[in-house]
Amino acid sequence: MTMNGARNAGETLLEIRHLEKRFGGVKAVADVTMDLRAGIVTTLVGPNGAGKTTLFNLITGHLPRSGGSVRWLGRDIGGLKPYQIARLGIARTFQDLRLFSEMTVEENILTVMEPNALPFRLSGPPLKERRARAGHVLERTGLADKRAVRAMDLAYAERKFLSLARIMATDARLWLLDEPASGLDPHSYELFLALLREEVSAGVTVCIIEHNLDIVIGISDRIAFLDHGRLLADDDPKTVLEDPALAAIYFGDRS
Amino acid sequence: MEAYLLNLGVLISLYAILAVTLNFIMGYAGIYSLAHAVFFGTGAYAGASVALNFSASIFVMVPTAMLCAAALSLLLALPALRVRGEYFVAASLGLQVLAVTVFAEWKAVTGGIGGLIGIPPVDIAGFEIYSPGSFFILSLVTLAAVVAITRLLVRSSFGRSLKAIRDSESAALAFGKNIALIKTTSVVISAALAAIAGSLYAAYMSFINVESFMLDTSVLIMAMVIIGGTGTQLGPIVGAALLLILPGALSYLSFLPQTEIGSIQQILYGLGMAVLMIFRPGGIVGRGRAETGEGEA
Repeated sequence: MTMNGARNAGETLLEIRHLEKRFGGVKAVADVTMDLRAGIVTTLVGPNGAGKTTLFNLITGHLPRSGGSVRWLGRDIGGLKPYQIARLGIARTFQDLRLFSEMTVEENILTVMEPNALPFRLSGPPLKERRARAGHVLERTGLADKRAVRAMDLAYAERKFLSLARIMATDARLWLLDEPASGLDPHSYELFLALLREEVSAGVTVCIIEHNLDIVIGISDRIAFLDHGRLLADDDPKTVLEDPALAAIYFGDRS
Repeated sequence: MEAYLLNLGVLISLYAILAVTLNFIMGYAGIYSLAHAVFFGTGAYAGASVALNFSASIFVMVPTAMLCAAALSLLLALPALRVRGEYFVAASLGLQVLAVTVFAEWKAVTGGIGGLIGIPPVDIAGFEIYSPGSFFILSLVTLAAVVAITRLLVRSSFGRSLKAIRDSESAALAFGKNIALIKTTSVVISAALAAIAGSLYAAYMSFINVESFMLDTSVLIMAMVIIGGTGTQLGPIVGAALLLILPGALSYLSFLPQTEIGSIQQILYGLGMAVLMIFRPGGIVGRGRAETGEGEA
């Protein structure tokens, strides 16, 4: 049932060192040091406002960092623009999805395979192959019969799956997933977990922000616990979940 | 009457080219430009200068006009596209104001306020196109070509990138889109295609001056796009036809005081635009309000 345990961690993909983000006087991310290693599912947990999404934004370059460094396969990616970081193989989803809402489901998938698109210039594999791959991804995410529907016209769970389908269509090695399963009904949730497991065993490395403890336990190889921008723990799930001090913070009991 | 209709047909076709090319950036890239008349004017002055001094051949005049407008649009796009949407509107307004001054003052090239006169008719492989009938056909064919080019672009991977950026810049970035490059490219294409209308306009009128390329022309082109339907294929053409037919049609309504026809026209435009935006924000050809939806995704 779980992905935990018996897999060997591969090379270090992402090295985060003393990463810091200040908004005015507030440290949203403070001195975070952690590694994301190939094949490992890391779950970021922590109360709202702990800095989880900010950490993602710092990794992908959507926010400039205030200090520290981020290295991808040994290379400092701190000064790169978000699109350059994406092209290195780091893909992400957004908590509020940010689908290409007026485009059709199929267009949403096609366009993520076409980052270099300039007029009348072929980018990536030919359109026929891109279409086939989009069809395959939509089949797996249960969206095959919605391919001509505009993203904004999809139901809630379908939007969540389109967000996942978009990332599945990339060749990214590292996925940063921001609450991808929140609000899913039990059936969709099982489908989501099954898809994630397939992708992980196919070689994708995942870092996921999640609140639902069942999901956290069900998929994590490691749990990183953030609070007030600080990394309080980064360990195997059992150790983190059984720490009474962390549980107290997580469940809001700070007395 | 026939000459009147042909003249109207030529103007509708040329303005439809302008509306289609503005819609290309407004509707698909989400770039709202109030400087489209600048590229119309640049095309007109460049085409006219080439025709007056060098060759009136369409194969010389039009490409030169396109190149000049494309180069000028880079000046606008490179700094302005680094800022967010509403600031681009302000930047384009700045370019429009600046350009009117240059058009009016740079006597050596634009003839100053007096403009350029005696522009020769356009020449296609030795045939001079000056009768309204043949020019109408030329402008229709050109419109069809511009529509075909923009349609092809919109449906290509480039068009999907434009729409992705319009729908969510941060997501487009997260999927590797070089937003500045893609937006700049779209502005350059739009300006170059608008310049085709400019150079044909100069050859058709045989006289141009700054008054055709001022802010009210930019606003008129934008109104054509919005009224017809932003982001639709047919909308800009419908909008151009409607806004150019309306003044003439009004003068046929004999119960209206003919001396006040200009003011009545302005009141009708204003009212029509306000009512349309309230009840049909997608434009005449666009989707109705019920369908446009405000999904948060």
